[in-house]
Amino acid sequence: MQEFDFFRPDSLGELVKILDETGGQVVAGGTDVIPRMRRNLFSASILVDASNVTELGFIEEKDDQIVIGAMTTHQEIADSALIRSANPALAAAAASVGCHQTRHRGTLGGNLANASPAADTVPALLAFDAQIWLLRKDGGRSMPLGEFLVGPGKTKLVPGELIHSVTFSQLSGSWGTAYQKLGKRNGMAISVVGVAAAVVLDPAGVVRDARVALGSVAPTVVRSAGAEKMLIGREASPRAVQDAADAVIADISPISDVRSTAEYRRHAARILTRRVLLQAIEQAQGRLA
Amino acid sequence: MSESITLGKSEVRKDAWEKVTGAAEYVADIKLDDVLYGAVARSSVHHGRILSIDATAAQASPGVVRVLTAADIPGEHCFGGLVPDQPALAGDLVRHYGEPLAIVIATSKAAARKAAGLVKADVEPIAPLLDPVTALGTDVSKLHEVGNLISRYEIKEGDIEEGFAEADVILEETFSVPLVSPAYLETENSLACWNADGTLTVWVSSQHPFTDQLEIAATLGMPPEKVQVKSAVIGGAFGGKEDASLAILTALAAWAVKGTVRLVNTRQESFWAHPKRHPVQFQFKLGAKKDGTFMALKAVAHMDTGAFASLGPAVGVIVTETLGGSYRIPNVDLETYVAYTNAPLAGAVRGFGSPQSHFAIESMVDMLAAKLGLDPIEVRRKNILCEGDKMFTGVVVNNTANSLPVSLDRAQEACRKFAAIPPLPGKVAGVGMALVMQSMGLGAKVPDDSTQRLEWKPDGSLLVHLGAPDMGQGLAMAAEQIAAEAMELPYELVNTVGLDTSSSPNGNVSCASRMTYMVGNTMVEAAQKLKAQMLEQAARLLNRPQESLSYSNGHVVTAEGEKIAVKEVISRAADDGIILQSESTFSFPYPEATTPQHLPIGMPHVLFCFGAQAARVEVDPELGTVVVTHLTAIHDVGRVISKVGVEGQIEGGAAMGLGYALYESMDLKEDGRWVDSFTEYLIPTSKDVPTYHENIILEIPEESGPFGAKGIGEVTVPPTAPAIANAIYNAIGVRVKSLPITPEKLVKV
Amino acid sequence: MNSIQVSFEVNGRPVTVDSLPNRTLLDVLREDLGLTGVKDACGGEGECGACTVIMDGKSVNSCMVFIGQVEGCAIETIEGLAKDGELHPLQRAFAETGAVQCGYCTPGAIMAAKALLQENPHPSDEEIREGLSGNLCRCTGYVKMIEAVRCAAEEMSHV
Repeated sequence: MQEFDFFRPDSLGELVKILDETGGQVVAGGTDVIPRMRRNLFSASILVDASNVTELGFIEEKDDQIVIGAMTTHQEIADSALIRSANPALAAAAASVGCHQTRHRGTLGGNLANASPAADTVPALLAFDAQIWLLRKDGGRSMPLGEFLVGPGKTKLVPGELIHSVTFSQLSGSWGTAYQKLGKRNGMAISVVGVAAAVVLDPAGVVRDARVALGSVAPTVVRSAGAEKMLIGREASPRAVQDAADAVIADISPISDVRSTAEYRRHAARILTRRVLLQAIEQAQGRLA
Repeated sequence: MSESITLGKSEVRKDAWEKVTGAAEYVADIKLDDVLYGAVARSSVHHGRILSIDATAAQASPGVVRVLTAADIPGEHCFGGLVPDQPALAGDLVRHYGEPLAIVIATSKAAARKAAGLVKADVEPIAPLLDPVTALGTDVSKLHEVGNLISRYEIKEGDIEEGFAEADVILEETFSVPLVSPAYLETENSLACWNADGTLTVWVSSQHPFTDQLEIAATLGMPPEKVQVKSAVIGGAFGGKEDASLAILTALAAWAVKGTVRLVNTRQESFWAHPKRHPVQFQFKLGAKKDGTFMALKAVAHMDTGAFASLGPAVGVIVTETLGGSYRIPNVDLETYVAYTNAPLAGAVRGFGSPQSHFAIESMVDMLAAKLGLDPIEVRRKNILCEGDKMFTGVVVNNTANSLPVSLDRAQEACRKFAAIPPLPGKVAGVGMALVMQSMGLGAKVPDDSTQRLEWKPDGSLLVHLGAPDMGQGLAMAAEQIAAEAMELPYELVNTVGLDTSSSPNGNVSCASRMTYMVGNTMVEAAQKLKAQMLEQAARLLNRPQESLSYSNGHVVTAEGEKIAVKEVISRAADDGIILQSESTFSFPYPEATTPQHLPIGMPHVLFCFGAQAARVEVDPELGTVVVTHLTAIHDVGRVISKVGVEGQIEGGAAMGLGYALYESMDLKEDGRWVDSFTEYLIPTSKDVPTYHENIILEIPEESGPFGAKGIGEVTVPPTAPAIANAIYNAIGVRVKSLPITPEKLVKV
Repeated sequence: MNSIQVSFEVNGRPVTVDSLPNRTLLDVLREDLGLTGVKDACGGEGECGACTVIMDGKSVNSCMVFIGQVEGCAIETIEGLAKDGELHPLQRAFAETGAVQCGYCTPGAIMAAKALLQENPHPSDEEIREGLSGNLCRCTGYVKMIEAVRCAAEEMSHV
């Protein structure tokens, strides 16, 4: 294990101050940082532990916005009644991370900072046009989550900056959302392909809005504009859904690795997209009343 | 049959209590003073010529006491289960990624590991050979003095050309199975202590402490009597701990610093450098009549034993013997090649060649049935070995083969039951089965004795001096139950002493599905001797003729029916300095009259475990994902000793077989490194094993076994993968001939 | 690298350790506190659950917690389960159902099960499987482990 100096601030203010002064790296739940440090895929000479900064562990509703603090754990997100009703895809995604032990420690902020293209929480957040809020000593800034995630393991975070929270707007009207993930085994499954979708229907059952986000099929989690275009303005029919599913291919660039092949990932992406859209549409149609 | 005392019951194993409280001491848990830590510097190339190993930076690193290389080894440089071709520390050649180059001994684990990373090996890379067929080609590097072929087996019976000529249909197929890790949870580790009197005490997590003793002694140039090996609690072995590497390295380290050293492998090192299940490439040609009768089998198997032989030649024997499965095939031409490559070494892993062959032959039988338009179960029924049949090895199967038709019937019933279950929406269901015939024992002409002692304590309890380690499977419990039964005493009164080479008898290696059988037989004989000793002592003390006394359930009974508790006799004998203890040695029987003598050493095996497994799968036809929903396992154990013990072996073995079928493969990645972590090497979790698991345990007594008992340790692994493969074919009509059966292989992309 | 001092509670007793910060809770439990019930089976990657402890009421892999992160927390290990010489129902159930073979995964599995039953005293078989899915076992095939948790849950719900 690498050698580092360790700080454990008691408050958000102190966390920001220490990061600014030391240029250190944040460790949250440790479920990515620790294995990656062991393999020298992540380096830190100063680690700043955020796990005592309780101000960052929250799930709140502010008007039509849901706000999730960076130190909220996957288990807390999976168990949250608010998330289950406002973004069931996100709740399902968080529940699918690893196992209980991982979910009790792993945090949303950590998942985002780690920026794995396989990160389970990201598709459901991108499908809701989530914004990420960053904080450093000089102040805060926000940007769309999609902009924040630049590449595998790469984000827009600058030295001294931390993730504060993530927000997304609740959907209204006849909306539905779903998330499906394909792993290599049923337990402790790392995503081979993961797809989240959200649709909003108008009273006539025509798709007013559609978001399709795919994980593990590109350097970052991506939205498929092509799939979304195939749906918006059309009746939510199986034909439209198939067209949308077929259209994701142009928007993804999967690789072959130890888990799977590029060809299979393309194949699975198309199928999961279709299934997730059908599930989301069914949910939305249930709200048409 | 009268009610047994303990046989067939589910007793609680005596070591369960320390295991559920965290008190059980595995090697890494043993608390000693002044322990130094070892870490092994390992090769990061697959193959190369070692020009130099520079330990200066490592030696200068904080906390480092000593760095050892091959030059520091006083005795034998190489060891090996069958062939001494494995250097304890690499000499002039690196033969696999992760091969040990040097040992660093330091005052802390962190210091040792850090320094191990500072050992600089100057290695001139040589292009690695990573495929057994290529390795046996012309114009390739020689990996060992003997070349790249370590063993070749050939069995020809009947007339193969005529057999194929008489066949109505001939099927030719190839199969391949990958490099697989036993993946026990406790990695290899050892703790060695140099004693002031010049002796060495070594704690091991090993299937063969007595072999470790000899290997350590040879490496250090010491007499074996000066090396004491003690068996710690073992966290799983499955064959992979029939390897003295860590014991030797730790002993070497302790000897070098004249102190106490503990060496614990990381999971990564376990993947790189310890015995795996052999990858095999098979070519099968099976000829049959249109009614399904097998006429001829020609098969060639290429086995990759990796950098060192380990138990490869012996695994090759069993691969060869199981190429024909449980069937009567009049004309065979079988060839097996065991080749060295630069892959991690392959050796003994549960099943020992049989899981590989069974995947091939049991898939082949279903494929043949499909070609003939026949029911695969009926095809099997037509061809299964019966009592009195002679196998192609010349061995005549005994009456326990009668469990084959019973297994087939139970499997058929299970398949019918499973087939009636409708699949979940969007899924396609299928059922499949496979038979299994797993040999017991080390094979003919391999000396195979196991000795145990049974001691009767003054309080009337029994102490089993078990000479072979319980690796977690419950051998001690089985020994205790058999001893209790034979001695007519309650199970609670029997305990087992920990294995220590300086005081335990030599029970031989815990392996080959023969421990219950061999140890059990020694318990039965030792019990008879003890009871005789009891009567002898009682006669002496009571001043009665021995013939007038009898023994029953912990009492000596006089002619008048008077009962004397054995405690009394033992205590009074102890006063006279007499200890009641008996020793028994059982030799695995290969009766000359019935054991063919013309085959190479280790061939043939003469005693078998039979069974079958039936599986139901649900396949997502679009994604190719497979869920095994139901599994029924049918296994004949001769006589159940421990009910939970047998069930545990079946449930665990089937899970291992399921992992083999669907998830497990030690691939070489694009970065040139092997898959070497549980992140990438996936073994089944609790969510991956079937939600329905049924055990059907048959008991056709094996005459030569203790109370009729046979083995169960390995037979539960081979049928699972072919049963699943057959079920997948039944579901979606896709036949996959290589393991693991991944979704990528099941869908057309 | 500067040493840090960490104060926390283990099995109800307060503990203070001085440690280099790059060590994990697993390291400290085993090496500093002699509590060797927790095991390292996967190289500290959080892939096997053999190091599972309960931290502030939740099951966690102790190999994935830096010791400094344990400040002020309450840790329960397998050694703390038995009370006054009486085994916990989970310990008895694991032993009596035959869910223990080599035993290496056992302490971690029992702690994971305990945490599960604390949150969900009446789990379905599916929930038990999910609850144990972070604990790898190579010996048992999980059948008897699931049965043990079911039995213990049953017994504990009658108390």
